Formats: sequence, structure tokens, C-alpha cells
Amino acid sequence: MIQDAWRKVRGRGESPAGEETGDMRPENLVWVFGTARTGSSWLSAIMGEIGGYSRWHEPLVGHLFGNLYYERAGHRSEDEHFILGDRYKELWLSTVRRFVLDSAAARFPEVAGKGGRYLIIKEPQGSIGAPLLMEALPESRIILLVRDPRDVVASNLDAHKKGTWTADLMRKGGKEKPPSLAESRPDAFVKGQARRYVRDVGNAKKAYDAHRGLKVLVKYEDLRADTLGTMKHIYSALEIPMEEAELARSVEKHSWENVPEEEKGEGKFHRKAKPGGWREDLTPEQAEIVEGVAGSLLRELYPVRSTA
Amino acid sequence: MTPRLKRAWRRAVRRSKALRSRARRSSRGVRPENIVWIFGTGRSGSTWLGSMMEGLDGYAMWNEPLVGNLFGNFYYFRVGGRKLGKHSILGEPYKETWLGPMRDLVLGGAAARFPEVSGGGYLVIKEPNGSIGSPLLMEALPESRMIFLIRDPRDVVASSMDARSEGSFLQERRDGQRRTSRPDRNPNAYARLRANSYVQQIEKTRQAYRAHGGRKVMVRYEDLRADTLGTMRRIYSGLEITVHEADLARSVEEHSWENVPEEEKGEGKFHRKAKPGGWREDLTPKQAEIVEDITAPLLDEFYPNTATTRDAL
Repeated sequence: MIQDAWRKVRGRGESPAGEETGDMRPENLVWVFGTARTGSSWLSAIMGEIGGYSRWHEPLVGHLFGNLYYERAGHRSEDEHFILGDRYKELWLSTVRRFVLDSAAARFPEVAGKGGRYLIIKEPQGSIGAPLLMEALPESRIILLVRDPRDVVASNLDAHKKGTWTADLMRKGGKEKPPSLAESRPDAFVKGQARRYVRDVGNAKKAYDAHRGLKVLVKYEDLRADTLGTMKHIYSALEIPMEEAELARSVEKHSWENVPEEEKGEGKFHRKAKPGGWREDLTPEQAEIVEGVAGSLLRELYPVRSTA
Repeated sequence: MTPRLKRAWRRAVRRSKALRSRARRSSRGVRPENIVWIFGTGRSGSTWLGSMMEGLDGYAMWNEPLVGNLFGNFYYFRVGGRKLGKHSILGEPYKETWLGPMRDLVLGGAAARFPEVSGGGYLVIKEPNGSIGSPLLMEALPESRMIFLIRDPRDVVASSMDARSEGSFLQERRDGQRRTSRPDRNPNAYARLRANSYVQQIEKTRQAYRAHGGRKVMVRYEDLRADTLGTMRRIYSGLEITVHEADLARSVEEHSWENVPEEEKGEGKFHRKAKPGGWREDLTPKQAEIVEDITAPLLDEFYPNTATTRDAL
């Protein structure tokens, strides 16, 4: 079935715009960047629920290219032999573009070739590669979703303890979760997560700042305080249509209050959804570690907040 | 769409068209069947082998593009242990959609970098540190040719430890990166780490080699050292590439160990000792045991007649 869909996509030939990408229109892609545990599942679920929208759940294409480019082979960017070397950037960015558009068209034929349909790409864990993706697909739209780094780290600390939802997720992938630093050396885990926040949100912000197309910065805290109002702001800034009643229905359906009580709490995917909850979750030393590592982003994104 | 966006859109389309056109031209450039991959693992003589091949007329060498590392690392190690399902960009059910761009990335990159071998020359891609992705690359480029280069894991680990020690060529090359090298801090832990990466790289290379239906040859570093010209002839014969004997002999001579200036050889240098079995002088018995334990099945398979440290006890 998939091969048939792929042949169909390839068989369509070039679009009027000259793309050979199964008619997936890059301007109909909406990227959600940030980092894990910022409410991206919630936000993308609200958007994906609305007619005309599909949701691509963590393709990790940003991780694929960004991890090698920025981290593992970061020292080779000026080496012209390196496959992602800067001298040939335009050439390999065209492959990145094709990777995304072809893959999106094959997976979401209902969006490909149709005006007025949008694909929400939830990619918080691929945010390291956000600058590359947005350079390759400048017509697409960005939502930069941020959350207080102390709450993000507190949420991750909970998620990586023994017997939590992350272990279930790994088990589904056929692997057992190895012992985590979250249990054995929580302060070291906190430091690692804070660094990850800086890497992911830092690169997502770089992409956001450089992007000349449609974009919007959303704070998780605002989304929690006034979900419908913040969602309307998102659609307005991205210049994409929505029907207000349908949006309100989707917001209601995915509200915290509608998550069954037995699916909420410590160790669960839906934990507490409480901005500022880090004060109850982190020790003062751990909060200081996060503020030390992510201080620059914290001050920039949350200038009026108090520190530990 | 606003006028500003329309302009951005048109610019992007023009850029995309130009790039695609370039990539199309490029993919007509280097013939995939004229690509010769060298897979295996680092510190196994791949630079030496690649240089001897590059020394012939009509050859170029692409030195460690890491394209195999790019895809293989993601595909085989996954991310956070997740299954590569429908949504993953390298999801198994959609392999056809990403093998094509992967092929284009190699062919387009090759043509842009090595126009001198477009239309008939050979491109040797030295990719030992991208061997983790060799099964995917050979699947994307089944017409290309493959050399599986292997070396005794104990010598590989000994060489890697030297290369990553304080003040070595690799440390100097990565000036500005982490300066405290792992072998200096904990040599046994480093030996374990490097032996494990040897197993990963060689197992993936073996997987690619077995699956490859095209022209291929397996070479042991030790044979290349013992009889370089004879082994090089066997490589060209295995790959079904015609080579002039005199040219080959000249290139072999030019790149021989004896022709490397003395001041460029020795501990901490890229050209270290080129001595099969030298691990006996370099590794402690404990380190040798660590490597032998981790690589035991590969040692048995590729070096069945070599004594181990335990045998000697």
C-alpha cells in the first residue's frame, strides 16, 4: 500500500512551481520547535484535530542532520570532504528539502497537492537541526514553543525515573530502559538536561530569529493560562485559517481537565501541567544548576521571573 | 499570501530549481558503478590503501565524507531506543522514499567535489568511520563497488589509543575540542569502548559485504603489508577494474612505508609503526584481554590462526 502511494506520489511529476516533491507544498508545513516536555504534544494535538490539518509526530529529521552537523562532526564544517561541509551547503540543503517534502508527501497524501491543507510537524527533539531545516524550507512556518527551563528539567527528571512512561515507550520499541542518572545522580542529570535545553531551544531560537517567513513564539505558560486566546494568536500570526467554533471544540477536547485522572500524575506522560511547579520538584541546588546553565535563555525568554 | 511571502516563495523556487538542475547534472557526472567504497574501521590502513588507488591516473579519493555515519548512526542506533515506525524520517516502511535522496546526496556531492572523474574516472570513497551505514549506502548504490578492509582488532585498538593520546596528531587536529583524551584518563575503559565500536563497524561492514550483489573484495591489512603489490592486484581483479601493472607498481612504491620520511613516523604520529602484531608491545595483557573478549567472534572468523593472550597463559 505504501509502495503504491509512493509510486503515485512520484508519478505526479513536477508541480507548476517546478518541485519534484510529490506536490507537498513547503508553505503548508508548520514546524513546532522547542524541546521535549514543553507541551508540544498538546499543542500539535489541538491543531491536528481540526479539519484540514494533519500531524507528523516527531520525524526527527532535524536530529538526523543537526546532530552530525552541530555536534558529532561540528569540527569538520570547513572540511570540503565532509558530506555536510559548508562549502557545499546549498547542494546538501536541497537534499534535506527533498527528504522532508518527499517523506511528507508519502506519509500524508491527504495534504500533498492540496491548497488549504496543512501539515503540523511536531519536532521538539529535532530542534538541534532547526536552523538547517528552515534554511532548506524557507517558505514553511514556525512555531517556537518555549517553557521555563526549570519546569522542563523538572518534568524530565520525573519522566526518567524508574517505571515511568518513558520506560513503557522504550519497551514498545523492543528495548529495556537502562538505569538513568535521574535516579543515581539527579544533580548530574539536571545539568545534562539543562544543557540539552540550551542546545535545543538555543538552535530553535536561532532558526526562529533568522526565519523571514511566517512565525510565532508561544510560551507554554500563556497556552496554559488562556489556551483558546493563545491558539487564536498562533493561527493569526501564521496566517492560516481556522474556524473558531472548531478550534474551541478541539481546545476543550484536549484540555487538562479532560485527561482522565488515572492518566495524570507523577511518572505519567501527563504530569502536573503547572507553570512554576519546579519550586516543588527541584531542590534549590538543582534550580540553581538550571539557572546557571540556561541563564541566558531564561533571562531572554522570561525576563521578569524570579530565580532560586 | 502577502507580497513579501510571494517574493520569498519565488526566490525559494528559483533556488530550488537551480540546485535541482545542478544535482541532476551532478548525478550524470560520477558513475555510480565507478564508485569504490572502502569500509571497515578507522586505523586499519584505509588512508594508505585509498592513497595507492588515488595515485593512479583517472582516480580521485573522497576522504571520509561521513555520509554512512550520518544515516547509519540514526538508523541503527535509533534515537532514544525508539522504533523506526511510520513517523520517523528513516522509517522502515518508507525506505524507498529516503534511499533516493540518500543516493542523490552521494552522487551530487561526488560530482560537485570531483569533476575530474566525471564521465569515466573512478572515485574511491574512504569511509571507515561511516561503516555503520554501509548496508544502507550499498542498498542505495547497488552498482558501486566495495572493499571490506579489516585489521586485527588488537592492533586497531593499540593504534587508536596512540592516536588519541595527549599530544598526538588527532589531538592536535581537534585543537579546541575536548583536550583530555580518554585513553590517558582510563586506558582500559577506552580499550573497551574502541573494541565495541570495532565490533559495530565490522559487523555492519560484513552485513553490507554479504548483501552486496555487485563487485566486491575483502582485504586484510596484514596481507596488504606482507605483499602490497600482490594484494593490490587481487583487489583490482576482485573489483573487475583494469589496471596497468607498471602504474600500480609505481603507486605502491610511492606510498610504501619505506618512503614515508622518518620524521613523520612514530608514536603519536599518523604513520605510527605499521607492524602487524605490534599490539603485543603496545597493549597491557589486561587491555589485550578486554579487546579479545569483546571481539572474540570476529577474531575467530577473520583471524582464526592468531593466538590470543589467554592462549599464551
